[in-house]
Amino acid sequence: MGPTYAELMIQGLKEAGVTLVTALPESLLGGFYRAVAQEPGIRYVRVSNEADMPGILAGAYLGGTRAVMVMENSGLRQACEPIARFAFTYHMPLVILMAYRGDLGEYNWWGHAHAQVMEPLLGVLRIPFRVIRTLDEIKPAIKRAVRHADSGQWPVALIFSGQCVEVPPYATD
Amino acid sequence: MQRIDVVRALAPLVTPDDLVVCGLGALWDDWWNYRPGGADNTFFPVILGSISSTALGLAIALPHRRIVALDTDGSLLMNAGVLCTLGSERPGNVTVIVFDNGIYECIGGPPTLTSKNTDLARMAEGAGCINCRTVRDVAAFGEQVRPLLTDDQFGLIVAKIKPGVHPWPTEERRPTDGVEDKYRFMRYVEKLEGIVTHPGAPQN
Repeated sequence: MGPTYAELMIQGLKEAGVTLVTALPESLLGGFYRAVAQEPGIRYVRVSNEADMPGILAGAYLGGTRAVMVMENSGLRQACEPIARFAFTYHMPLVILMAYRGDLGEYNWWGHAHAQVMEPLLGVLRIPFRVIRTLDEIKPAIKRAVRHADSGQWPVALIFSGQCVEVPPYATD
Repeated sequence: MQRIDVVRALAPLVTPDDLVVCGLGALWDDWWNYRPGGADNTFFPVILGSISSTALGLAIALPHRRIVALDTDGSLLMNAGVLCTLGSERPGNVTVIVFDNGIYECIGGPPTLTSKNTDLARMAEGAGCINCRTVRDVAAFGEQVRPLLTDDQFGLIVAKIKPGVHPWPTEERRPTDGVEDKYRFMRYVEKLEGIVTHPGAPQN
């Protein structure tokens, strides 16, 4: 059996030089949050509000540390104001990793709004994004996202779905 | 005690080797004029609620460097959850100074909630922050902030200030915008730390 999505995410982050992960855990990437908290070489900062994370990333970047923020896609709405400020006012590179709640086939009625809002919101924020659905995409996508944010001095988002998230038995096809 | 009095008392205690994250409002121009040595050691996020989180990220990146956050009541109240993050992490190289005038002064002075029953130092304590205190005059500020800056522990001091904006002439007001601030600060940190954060394109 090959590496899990969580292992691939962590490998990708380490290979991209990321040493700080800040997150507000949710269920779809549950294994990632548990694993990264135990990972040597990566500092893991838990927050209680996604709006904390853009500042943590900005400060880390200005101090020469590569960092990413991880959350459910609903967190994009919560963090929208600081993301918008850091992007448009400071051209700050922020690497945003999100679980795709509400992707095609969503079982939970409450999850659809997350998806319906996410892509338009990323659009108005002018944040380039990719949906990552297969395990083999994870590591190259993380590497490219970090590079893209650095060279463009602008946020980038990766949205994890398909093989790259965990779903309960009732939600498997 | 007004904002400018706190800035004047703080400035001699901060050196160009320290890094500062400065909140918005009239504080901008005050700190711009009193920042140590006129150095680009200060980042000015015009983002209510993101001052202390930015200081935390900087502190994690540079754990050997003293980081000073100049936050405000309006900003902390915007995202009080950051107190929990600070209380969880307790970065030993961070001192948060909160300028608490109980009003949103730069927009004309409507009250913030610290004008009623909200106590930011007690909120910070409840959130897990250590070395939290409130001061109401310049002498107490100087006395209380000095150990916070030198003790290698997290600390947060709320300076209860009275309204009043120092009338800086136009030519002495901070002239930079956000993008310029970012690059000036980034290049300053690169020199200070001997690192390269943003190297530019590998090929023209």
